[in-house]
Amino acid sequence: MTSRQFLLIVAGAQGALLIALVTLIILNRWIRLRRSAKVDPRRIELDAVMLRWALGQADAEEVQRGLARLPVSVAIDALVTWSARVPGERWQELSRGLETRWWARVVRADARSARWWKRLECARFLAVAPTSHDIGRLLRLLRDRHPAVQLAAATTLERIDSPMLVAAALDQLPHLGPTVQAYYASVLKRARPAVLRHLAQLFRRLNDPRLPRIIEFAGRLDEPVLREPFTTLATHPDAEVRTQVARALGKFPHRESVAALGYLVHDEAWPVRAQAARSLGMIGDPTTVPAVREALRDPEWWVRLRAGLALTRFSTAGRNVLLEAEVGPHAEARDMAALILGLSTQALSEYAA
Amino acid sequence: MNALIHTTDVVILSYFLVLNTFYALLLVLAIPEIWEQTRLAEDEDFQRLMQSDALPPITILVPAYNESATIETSVTAILTLEYRNFEVVVVNDGSKDETLERMRHTFELYEVPRTYPEAIPTRPVRAVYRSRTRTRLLVVDKENGGKADSLNAAINASRFPLVIAVDADTLIEPDALLRLTRPFLLGARIAAVGGTVRVANGCTVRDGRVTDARVPRRFLPGIQVVEYLRAFLFGRLGWNRLGGSLVISGAFGLFRKDYLHAIGGYHPASVVEDLDLVVRLHRYLQERKIRYEIAFIPDPVAWTEVPESGRILSRQRERWHRGLIAAMWQYKGMLFNPRYGRVGLIAMPFFTFGEMLAPLVEVLGYVVTIVGLAYGAIDTSFALLFLLVAWGYGMLLSIWAVVLDEVSFRRYGRLGDLVRLLVYATFETFGYRQRTVWWRLKAFVNVWKRRQVWGEMVRKGFASTP
Repeated sequence: MTSRQFLLIVAGAQGALLIALVTLIILNRWIRLRRSAKVDPRRIELDAVMLRWALGQADAEEVQRGLARLPVSVAIDALVTWSARVPGERWQELSRGLETRWWARVVRADARSARWWKRLECARFLAVAPTSHDIGRLLRLLRDRHPAVQLAAATTLERIDSPMLVAAALDQLPHLGPTVQAYYASVLKRARPAVLRHLAQLFRRLNDPRLPRIIEFAGRLDEPVLREPFTTLATHPDAEVRTQVARALGKFPHRESVAALGYLVHDEAWPVRAQAARSLGMIGDPTTVPAVREALRDPEWWVRLRAGLALTRFSTAGRNVLLEAEVGPHAEARDMAALILGLSTQALSEYAA
Repeated sequence: MNALIHTTDVVILSYFLVLNTFYALLLVLAIPEIWEQTRLAEDEDFQRLMQSDALPPITILVPAYNESATIETSVTAILTLEYRNFEVVVVNDGSKDETLERMRHTFELYEVPRTYPEAIPTRPVRAVYRSRTRTRLLVVDKENGGKADSLNAAINASRFPLVIAVDADTLIEPDALLRLTRPFLLGARIAAVGGTVRVANGCTVRDGRVTDARVPRRFLPGIQVVEYLRAFLFGRLGWNRLGGSLVISGAFGLFRKDYLHAIGGYHPASVVEDLDLVVRLHRYLQERKIRYEIAFIPDPVAWTEVPESGRILSRQRERWHRGLIAAMWQYKGMLFNPRYGRVGLIAMPFFTFGEMLAPLVEVLGYVVTIVGLAYGAIDTSFALLFLLVAWGYGMLLSIWAVVLDEVSFRRYGRLGDLVRLLVYATFETFGYRQRTVWWRLKAFVNVWKRRQVWGEMVRKGFASTP
């Protein structure tokens, strides 16, 4: 083949591709228009039925018929939208009713699909309309290789109380990024008893490298039952564990928490000391003012900042310490005290956040 | 002479063949990527996510230099973004106009002491202000040091673990931050995320928001719409599957702050600070064998005003290319270096040979063709056919970008806009492309002369847009 012939072929292919692309644009617009003309009225109709059903003026059967007339993805969107507005008992009735619908069966079967978006659709559906028969599917979806599927499946934990699912979610927790962990914490709040039981087991694995993440998560639950295990872990050899313990204990105003924090504020690792100073401020026990005053002279800037901010929470006693430090002999404590005393109330509240 | 012309011709032909094959690869890779991203963008229940505590807190960094025309609108729009936990740090980089005064008046600023250490050295900070009306706002007033220096000052003042650099003239869509955090929810190893930047010229803007997306009627900004679509919708999407792009737009990119601290923040001496930053970030993470992803996602959108005059556009493009040359030269040690993985073996060679040297090769191609025709070494019909194919390929890529937008996010709903996009995509190759080649060539000359000109951008502002 000569180079001229090659170029001619390329030019021809380009021309054909150009025509194909323009056709694709036209077709895409036409299909979208047709689809919305067909689907939009049905969706509006379904919303009206859903509203009547939510008010007790229509039965679940009518809703199920409306859902069946929609494309699966639109039906799931509608379910997600309405799931937050309808009370639990009525919603469970709808979930049970959907179990026998053919389209819901197809969606459920997609839990094993090779295509991740199909599994995502299934997870989204089960997140709002699960039944006790879906535990196996949900376990599978919770361990899915696509993170979007895992996240959608985790949302189910808000609706279904299953120790097996909770254990699976908690086992995965340390492998997740901090943002996803926070999301899991928010969805697991509903399944508190099962979560606490499983956490109690995890806390016993002292050499588990996942322990800091588990404590971080447990701290987010604000659960008083966990105070005691946190206090026990204050002497753990891993500084990351102690940091998380120091952070978590600030939420539990108790003499044992205060004692543990009083110990942690002298820790060799500065992140632990900073967190302990912060938590002492959150508890605000007047007997801990001397320990926080000492932290204001810490060699690490962040510990001094946390101590300074903590002192503002001890009302007059804390303020007096700051005023003394502002004119005191310790240069770094003086600077930090001046800085903290110069902050507006608004700035202080933002720092406290 | 004839042999020399023929050899050069073959070299140029091979160059374009390899380069265009690579573009075709990017294009192919962009298809599954846009499919996945569109699915995720559509399927996510943003309301539910917004109500959860899972969203990571974000600091928005806004460098401002002589932005008095747009600063109030931009900052107000940023402050009203749909996001649960964020703060805005605006850095007035020693503006000579009324940027600071306007902010002081609009947001009722009051001076507060500085409460953070200078983790990254910057030009002296004159004062730090908080707002009486907007608690999320922090304004840092500092001596002039350039955009990179301002961003470093903003990083120092930021409190949150994720930071996003936003130009003061950029309009972020209300849910863009929410969308931009999606990779942080889906992946544990995300180091940075970039979103799409689109052209705001011609759009209807109300209260700092693009309320009606239009394609500009004027040729120059209109053609830049196509360029931006091409750069973002298949360029960067394709790179997602090849180990991450070297560019996250400085106008709209979310970064992990600890990594920015580790690499010393932005380089004040660099001409194109966003490219320099991302290359250094890749280098740092690869050298330490840290597993990471630098992702681009197409659905979070920020709108920016692009130059409407050839003079200003030429300066912008010259500067961009100068920055590219400087970065490729500075980090030449990464080129073909297996230590840097796919970045060293694919991204750096592409940006060096495919992007940096492209204008030189293109001009050489034009010169050789003309000389060859004059000496009779090249057949006229063959030369025309080659030009047709080369230009046709460029046109095809541009139209493909329009198609990707059309089948995924479809921001330009009107038929008239679509037609205009197709017209601009068609005619970009004739005249405009050659002008950009010329502007980029000037960058080589300026690098040679060691000129460090930033260039100015004259902004009309969005507030008065109907």
